[in-house]
Amino acid sequence: MTKSSSFAAYSRRLLAFIERDSVAWEADFAALARELFALQCAHVAPYRPLCEARRITPDSLADWRQIPAVPAAAFKELEFTSLDPAERTTVFHSSGTTAHRPSRHFHCAESLAVYEASLLPWFARHVVGRVNPAARSGDSVPTAARWGQTRPAFLCLSPSPAQAPHSSLVHMFDCVSRQFGAADSCFLAGLDADNAWALDVPGVLARLRQAADSGQPVVLLGTAFMFVHLLDELEQRPLSFKLPPGSLVMETGGYKGRSRELPKAELHALLRTCLGLPPEAIVCEYGMSELSSQAYDQLAGARCQVTSDKSPSFASTDSRAFHFPHWCRALVISPESGLEVGEGETGLLRLFDLANVRSVLAIQTEDLAVRCGDGFMLLGRARQAEARGCSLLAA
Amino acid sequence: MTLPNYFLADLPPEAHLTPAMLTDACLALKRNRTQYLAVRDTPSILRTLVRTGEDWLCEDYPYRKMALAEGPAHTGFSAQTIATGLDNFFRQLTGENLEALLAQELGPSHRLDAFCAGNSDSRTRRTALGTGPEMIGHITAGCVPNAAFMAIILGLLTRSAQFIKCSRGGTFLPRLFLHSLYGSEPKLAACIEMASWRGGTNELDQALFAQCDGITATGSDEAVEAIRRAVPPRVRFAGYGHQVSFGYISREAYSGWRAKKIVAAAAADVIAWDQLGCLSPHVFYVEDNSLGFALQFADQLAQELAHRETAAPRGAISTEAAGHIAARRAIYEVRAAHAPEQTRHWCSPDSTAWTVVYEADPRFALSCLNRFIYVKPVLDVGEALRGADTVRDHTSTVGLAAQEHELEGLAKQFARWGATRLCPLGQMQNPPLTWRHDGRLLLGELVRWTDWEQ
Repeated sequence: MTKSSSFAAYSRRLLAFIERDSVAWEADFAALARELFALQCAHVAPYRPLCEARRITPDSLADWRQIPAVPAAAFKELEFTSLDPAERTTVFHSSGTTAHRPSRHFHCAESLAVYEASLLPWFARHVVGRVNPAARSGDSVPTAARWGQTRPAFLCLSPSPAQAPHSSLVHMFDCVSRQFGAADSCFLAGLDADNAWALDVPGVLARLRQAADSGQPVVLLGTAFMFVHLLDELEQRPLSFKLPPGSLVMETGGYKGRSRELPKAELHALLRTCLGLPPEAIVCEYGMSELSSQAYDQLAGARCQVTSDKSPSFASTDSRAFHFPHWCRALVISPESGLEVGEGETGLLRLFDLANVRSVLAIQTEDLAVRCGDGFMLLGRARQAEARGCSLLAA
Repeated sequence: MTLPNYFLADLPPEAHLTPAMLTDACLALKRNRTQYLAVRDTPSILRTLVRTGEDWLCEDYPYRKMALAEGPAHTGFSAQTIATGLDNFFRQLTGENLEALLAQELGPSHRLDAFCAGNSDSRTRRTALGTGPEMIGHITAGCVPNAAFMAIILGLLTRSAQFIKCSRGGTFLPRLFLHSLYGSEPKLAACIEMASWRGGTNELDQALFAQCDGITATGSDEAVEAIRRAVPPRVRFAGYGHQVSFGYISREAYSGWRAKKIVAAAAADVIAWDQLGCLSPHVFYVEDNSLGFALQFADQLAQELAHRETAAPRGAISTEAAGHIAARRAIYEVRAAHAPEQTRHWCSPDSTAWTVVYEADPRFALSCLNRFIYVKPVLDVGEALRGADTVRDHTSTVGLAAQEHELEGLAKQFARWGATRLCPLGQMQNPPLTWRHDGRLLLGELVRWTDWEQ
């Protein structure tokens, strides 16, 4: 069997697994993880030495949790892909300042199809309000429960795919807009002289005004820093809207120095005030360019997601746990012991994404999280918040 | 043992400081200074300091016992690390060293007491008297207590009332030192106050600055610059930004009989105050002409750090700091697996207690500290200096291990390059009392001279 046909066969099994409801899937998850690990160990050139150094090979693997995780930052240095250069059709870069080398996640048409098959049903479940998470093709999508027969416009606070071809987030926005949005869904940002995302302020304000006037709900998709830019613009004018019922915000975290940073609870409170939305209309997404699946912190419209009794107390929107779909598992790992932490304890997030077919399935993030049932609460990037000494610290 | 409420820093954490409280405290300090401190002469101050320093070296001294018993919870350092740090500091606090400090800074040691002539003054029939500020504010950063200890000592020598603002979490050991001074001489300690508040709390900062005629500040370049801008122009200001340090090991030294001692000295420098001081090394440069000296050194250093961990464990660190180390280790693991000739790494098992990274790239690397050290091979000192060029303006100490005949040549090259302190490896975080912080005067920054021409 050739490399491509092996990955293709795996992908078929994965798609079937994605479509299944999450009943008794532990053994199937383990089997798929083992199969994919074996393929990646054999075909992702820089991955094999890491597995050998850890003395974990497909033959010796006892549990999928032992699969060596690649630090996300290593995607900046090495090409963690099984795709030959000629096979690569798309590359997603991590966001960040242009001064730093970005992470690179290479795709081909087949792996992008899996990526989309992974992102659509979980987005549908959490944002569109679909009960069945399995639907993925346009034809098989039942009418969205939330919006009836009329699709809302998706207002993406990002540049278009043509302007940002290496952003996995923009690709995702494009994908969900085409799948679930109205025909007049659009991208409402461009690039400034430094290639940073710049909000199309007149465009956004016009669309918000139009929605408020017409009574047609809209879905706003954007990063935290773009929402801060929007809120700053609204505050300056000053301006606020009462968006029609059914309108939603999907916010994905991260600032990376692109705006002032607001605590999440404060950001959400401002969004509610300025856009006239109820708390349950704001959904947070967690994703990264090195992954092919995303986590969400609640079902849009649902009052509250289950959180752990042992969880530390946070402001309400901070205390919602993120959940990945059943084909991507998140472990919270103690940085000291390297073992999974107990319920309610903090550690680094490690992800096992079965949809990461042509790169590596196990990714070690630098994100601190609290283990919370079968989900996690995000605390942010591990960095030395306050220097304890008088020496310069690495950034 | 419970500390009585003598200082603002003794108030419970929920106590709310107000600008008016600070102003009142400063006015009281100044009154006490006039009454108790301004009238004292240098020898009597020296006697008090020396006696207090000797007390701290006694194992049954109550404040020392409290520092070791409760320090780990307050400071994040293990008791052994605190004990070593305190011993190293207070061993320096001798009459001889204090007099050497006065001689270095002022010439004759009684120049703060009476008009007297220095060596050059006698040729010009001139005498001079030094006067310290009426009130000094010290802004100290971090949890390594040496800067605050030293600030208090210098302020007492200049007979100034003092207000020490410690970083949050950095109060415990300086506060104990203050209580010990109170134990030795309550009236002296009545001229010193200590508190802690969040940096950049303008109204509190301003209330303090308004009462001071001298300010010293340690911290990040940005924090020091922010304080400098906030200090009124009439106030003397001495700011000390963040610094880095590194070690240099010559081929001849390491290939000789001293190799084992050099490794032990390097480990001591990494362990001292858990590497958090600005004199702690980030990198050891090892001369290596493809003989594998640097790799061998890194391996032995890892063994030594593992060995020391049992006797002098690193303190507990936050999950965030541990996460930082784990993330950094993970990257080096990938690099080591991919190009083992370029990168190797040694890690404490099942903990983040210590990490040694060997990296062939000679460019200086900032460590994430808490006993995380880089070892880098270089052909010669020139390559090391080129590698460290990015921190040239921020380098404090270079710890040296070299043969006798190499030392002077190396020292000159490091000095011309810009390092402000050279010391034997193993002594990096243990400077003498006379150490010129950042290559500058200590008392000279604070004292105002009155020249008397006759």
